[in-house]
Amino acid sequence: MSERARDAAARLRAGDTAALARAIRWLEDGDALGARVLREVAGAPERAWRIGVTGPAGAGKSTLVDALITELRRRGQRVGVLAVDPSSPFSGGALLGDRLRMQRHTLDPGVFIRSMATRGRMGGLASATHGAAILVDAAGFDVVLIETVGVGQDELDVAELAHTTVVVSVPGLGDEVQALKAGLFEVADVHALNKADLPGADSAERNLRALLDLETQRREGEPRWAPPLVRTVAARGDGVPALLDACDAHRVHLAASGEGERRAATRAEQLFYALLREQAPQRLLARATDLDRTIAALRAGEIDAFAAAEAVLAGGGLPAL
Amino acid sequence: MAKRIRVLLAKLGLDSHTIGVTVIAKALRDAGMEVIYSGLKQTPEMVVRTAIQEDVDVVGLSSLSAAHMSHFSRVLELLRAEGASDKLVLGGGVIPERDAEKLRAMGVAAVFTMGATTTEIIEFIERWWTQREAQ
Amino acid sequence: MSQPPRDRDDLRAHQARWERETRGPHVAAHGERLAEFRTQAMRWPVKPLYTPQDLDEIGFDYLRDAGFPGEYPFTRGTSPDGYRTELWRMLQVTGFGTGEDWARRGRYMLEQGLNGLIIEYDLPTTNGLDSDHPLAAGEVCRAGTAIDTLADMEAALDLPFEKLQHLTSVCNGPQPVNLAMILPALEKRGVDPDSFTLQMPNAILIEYTCVGRYIYPPAHGLRVATDVIEYVIRNHPRWVPIAVVSAQLYAARANPVQELAFGFSIAMQYLDAVLARGFAIDEVAPYFSFITGVDMDFFEAVAKLRAYRKIWAKLMRDRYGATKPESLRLRLMASPGTMSLTLQQPLNNIARLGIQMLACALGGGAQTMTSPLHDEAHALPSEEAIAVGAAVQNIVAHETGVADVVDPLGGSYYLEVMTRKIEDAVFAEIEKIDTQGGALRAIETGYFQRALAQEQYDRHRDLESGRRKLVGVNQGAVSGEKRSIELFELDADAERRQIERLQRVRAERDGSAVTRALARVREAAAGTENLVPPILEAVKAYATHGEICEALRDVFGSHHPDSLTTGI
Repeated sequence: MSERARDAAARLRAGDTAALARAIRWLEDGDALGARVLREVAGAPERAWRIGVTGPAGAGKSTLVDALITELRRRGQRVGVLAVDPSSPFSGGALLGDRLRMQRHTLDPGVFIRSMATRGRMGGLASATHGAAILVDAAGFDVVLIETVGVGQDELDVAELAHTTVVVSVPGLGDEVQALKAGLFEVADVHALNKADLPGADSAERNLRALLDLETQRREGEPRWAPPLVRTVAARGDGVPALLDACDAHRVHLAASGEGERRAATRAEQLFYALLREQAPQRLLARATDLDRTIAALRAGEIDAFAAAEAVLAGGGLPAL
Repeated sequence: MAKRIRVLLAKLGLDSHTIGVTVIAKALRDAGMEVIYSGLKQTPEMVVRTAIQEDVDVVGLSSLSAAHMSHFSRVLELLRAEGASDKLVLGGGVIPERDAEKLRAMGVAAVFTMGATTTEIIEFIERWWTQREAQ
Repeated sequence: MSQPPRDRDDLRAHQARWERETRGPHVAAHGERLAEFRTQAMRWPVKPLYTPQDLDEIGFDYLRDAGFPGEYPFTRGTSPDGYRTELWRMLQVTGFGTGEDWARRGRYMLEQGLNGLIIEYDLPTTNGLDSDHPLAAGEVCRAGTAIDTLADMEAALDLPFEKLQHLTSVCNGPQPVNLAMILPALEKRGVDPDSFTLQMPNAILIEYTCVGRYIYPPAHGLRVATDVIEYVIRNHPRWVPIAVVSAQLYAARANPVQELAFGFSIAMQYLDAVLARGFAIDEVAPYFSFITGVDMDFFEAVAKLRAYRKIWAKLMRDRYGATKPESLRLRLMASPGTMSLTLQQPLNNIARLGIQMLACALGGGAQTMTSPLHDEAHALPSEEAIAVGAAVQNIVAHETGVADVVDPLGGSYYLEVMTRKIEDAVFAEIEKIDTQGGALRAIETGYFQRALAQEQYDRHRDLESGRRKLVGVNQGAVSGEKRSIELFELDADAERRQIERLQRVRAERDGSAVTRALARVREAAAGTENLVPPILEAVKAYATHGEICEALRDVFGSHHPDSLTTGI
């Protein structure tokens, strides 16, 4: 198995798209090969810059990502994209349609686009996306764009994964308030007001700036980063160079202020917990002795769920009846 | 973490009827599969590149065009060239039986024309998957 | 026998007694066929019986809700004497091959007694591409006629115009280019534009919600369509530059309420755009016409047609302040719906067509009706199928007597309840669309698309689960029925001929005149002037269809939907 992992790592480092795509698949599927490939590439330092793009549905994230790819390519950067969409809580399946907006980049060898479903992970984005970002980096891409769903926990998770988080909103969705509730302001490094040609853009900008100012004051650390607000019309590409410039400035700030290191440390810790959260249940259950008898006793009402769970967590078998 | 079957659905050529692909996409999602829809006006080159990047197991092509024979054969050729012939290639749309025969001979595993139910399609994919996983 | 009920309480008491003593025991003894009875499209539960009581419950007022034919609110008909004055115009679609091929088929159909023709264009044409564009390979002359240059349009219009009353040209995205080709082609043939009615659906907003033959982003698509409408109103007032093809929404599985609400919202979007160019409502509203399809649920179909004209009248009068009768009177083309026809046992479709044509005639109000072909799911249009379609129309018209009384089903308790129910639901949905900012916004955010995608999935599941019965498919299916599908074959010869002619035209024209003309088109597109005149000049210089559409694309960009605006 290590042979296969080494081979896969070598191929993906050499630019083999299929190898990269397959390795990401292993991570998604929880195949041990995935973790092995990660260990093979772990030695190399983080080189690629990760930009998270998040926000509510209808904000035009995919269009913005499409425009960012175009601009990044113009600047000579190789771009990997991880587009994350939610899995159906009922069937576990997913409809992954973010690629639709990025069609024109399909045949560009300098662009890699991978759609990923959340697969019901507790806490939204988790280790597979982290791992995929590491692999895309190892494959030689300069920038990794991570696009996420936009409601619920996911924005917070992408902020842990990305170096720079761009939060996208649109005039008229009333999202100034929504964003505040969802904690988006706490994670935004750059704020994009998209579809800025719509009526209401001016007042939306005013409201957002006021809220961003409050947020900047709240933040700790010197020098403080004041999240800039950039108006974009992604469908036309307007404002996108300025958006990238703002992300650039943030990148510089991260390095200069030491904030980058602090975040990397937090990232490592969050990834550790995410891995535990994902794998612990299966591993605990696999180690539990007499699991079938425990379940049978539980179902027969001979023991209660609390006692049964405690027994498994304590690493043993059936509690005394 | 379970394995999920990943499916690419693409429409080749200029036809823009999306009811079939809409229904199939939703049905496959409800059957627990991850469906990537790559849109209209796809060329065979775009389809294969997408299939590789997304590491899909199944490539579902809809083509309501007289050019479907050349579209499909080009996709199969490109998949072969990429070493990706282990992917399941399915065809759908308004395809006459004699063309369906030719497509199957080329390497398209099944052709689902009008009248095929989503249940049939799902079962076909799942049977194929089970066999492959057993190896 | 008992005396007729003297008042509502009396009737209620009688009905309760009937339930108790007559129906109740019967149902207890024999049961009912189904656990519940619902209408096919709206899935509204239906009662076993409707009585005057039900009319009371909806506050039915004859004069207000039904009225008289030819008078507001037109529920009973837009024409005072219904089909007693004249029958509906009978049309059929057929468009394929090169211009000459279409003209030949058109001449045949006129000889068969049809007095109107519909010309549809091939996919490269409706997508704004020339026949030699890479994406066009295998598509030229297949789904319709190929028109690359003025020369093609001249060939297509080689028709006996004295027999032709009505020509519908379905081009959508490139409508101004299409119009700009028709005008000089008519001129060259010496045909007076006023001698017949040209109808251009120009229904690009519908294409964004379903079907998908769009080119430019929605806001630009609307501008282009509005230019066509304005040009025609000012220059060819007898022609009809807009038809809201709600039938396409139906074909995309919209239920009657969605079809009407989305359709009317889209109509109002066009209306607002045209009014903003300085017209008054009564100048513009008379141009708006609608195309609908009906499905097999007989009473949903009839009620939909009645509600259709009532709602239009109310919108025009109450919302837009229209006063001219022509503004309030709906112009409608109706047809049996293709969604109800089956691939299996295609002869059954003739029965379906008959029933739906009957529903159209009983629903009334349609000045024109078309008939799909009974075997079009699997076969190429044949002369036999065309003849059968024409016969169905004539049988309904001449053998059933339903055209001899205006709105003969009016007053049916069930029908009036259903008509009102559809009306109320449509107004509620229109309000919902209004709060989103209107149809264009709804298209840009994908509201219509997602609603339709959901209906598509739900209807499909109804079929697979057997909740919707289709004879020959999930009811009375003949096992082992293998229906072989005939496709429009790639007519390599037609494609080749078409490309040859295109290249010849390109070689023989004045290249610099074309370049200048296209630059003018781009200039106009970047500004606000009407696009039709500069496009006319480009057409006359033999700029190609694809070149002109490309010039517009240079300025407007292309439309690329995402998952929200696709619905998938």
